[in-house]
Amino acid sequence: MEPFVFFGGKGGVGKTTVSCAYGLRCARDGHRTLVVSTDPAHSVTDVFDQPFDDSLKSVEGIDGLDAMQLDPEDEVTRHLDEIRQDLSEQVSAAMVNEINRQLEMAHGTPGAYESALFDRFVDVMRTADAYDRVVFDTAPSGSTLRLLGLPDLLEGWIDRLMYKRRQSIDLFEKAAVGSNEPRRVMEGDPVLARLQERKEFFEFAGNALSDDAAFFLVLNPDELSLNETERSIADLREKEFAVRGLVANKLTPSPDPDENGRGARYLRERVETERAHLETIREAFDPPLVAEIGWRVTEVKGDLLDDVASELDIETTIEAPTHV
Amino acid sequence: MDLADRIEAFRQTLDEWLRGLYHGMISHPSYEKIEKEAEDAEDAFLLACFPDAFGIPSPVSYYTAELLPFLEDEFESWERRLWDRGTLLERKGQQYHF
Repeated sequence: MEPFVFFGGKGGVGKTTVSCAYGLRCARDGHRTLVVSTDPAHSVTDVFDQPFDDSLKSVEGIDGLDAMQLDPEDEVTRHLDEIRQDLSEQVSAAMVNEINRQLEMAHGTPGAYESALFDRFVDVMRTADAYDRVVFDTAPSGSTLRLLGLPDLLEGWIDRLMYKRRQSIDLFEKAAVGSNEPRRVMEGDPVLARLQERKEFFEFAGNALSDDAAFFLVLNPDELSLNETERSIADLREKEFAVRGLVANKLTPSPDPDENGRGARYLRERVETERAHLETIREAFDPPLVAEIGWRVTEVKGDLLDDVASELDIETTIEAPTHV
Repeated sequence: MDLADRIEAFRQTLDEWLRGLYHGMISHPSYEKIEKEAEDAEDAFLLACFPDAFGIPSPVSYYTAELLPFLEDEFESWERRLWDRGTLLERKGQQYHF
């Protein structure tokens, strides 16, 4: 299977647990694995009981498994600082204030968090040579889908910008009288160079996402989760990313047949409803159901994670990436 | 000064005048026109890069902000031109000398 594996789904369905379990399984099968969480809720820390941050850290007690958590807020700040650094090198002090205002505005726009996350995870994909497999635990559905749709949109946009810039430089060159130096020159234009760099970045992202990534959706056996999953499958398909499989999490355990108390009756009915939902998933949904994971009494951690991992029917073999 | 020299001097003056006249009437306005057109194209580029300067949120301004350090001159004159510009008609009208 592809080297990059994404787990998505509605909030609270257990994406983090499933991604960590899958990461663990890959590591146990002898692949060097990295689990990347793009969910600002920071739940990887809770699953492995160990703090993670933006840098690569190996998971204690498990060979060949590393993890990191991306924080969009930190990313936006880092990006802002980088540009400020460039600014102070290039721009005269008088202009810095003027430009700073523009800069802060750009980083306060609604899309900034998404762009920052996108940048960072594409960066991880680009520099993941050391790993056989990278598992992405994504933020809840909506924003993730928008993230994945970015490369196409942005590539087109950058193309238009480059066209406009070329056009204006071309005119400036023509406007230069005789042997006078034109106000802008095409060759070595830093703006065009920067745009080109960005364009290549988005091209890589688009290619890697469509050829080297597999998508799985985690869901719970209830109506809301089913509906959202259906929408996500359609959305992803529209972007030409196929969902490989569905993981049903938090299934209610059925009571022993001889039990007949209030709790047992409740569980029995609950199981019945869930069975109907699972039936719907099998029949109406296109991607196969690759795992059914029951509720655990305690939080899924430590040994329990191994349990969950063994319930995942997702292969771990690695295909060589085509674009990295 | 003999006749030949005087003719030569006269021709030089005439040449200079003609060149000046040509430059003032034909070549300078046309270069100016191209330059204005180039500025207009640059304005369109900057507007596409930073629409949020006008309150239009843009998904790309996060990325185009990276260009700001290299757009110092452009940015300054862009803002000045925007203050300066009453209407598009006025801007285009400036290019003709009647």
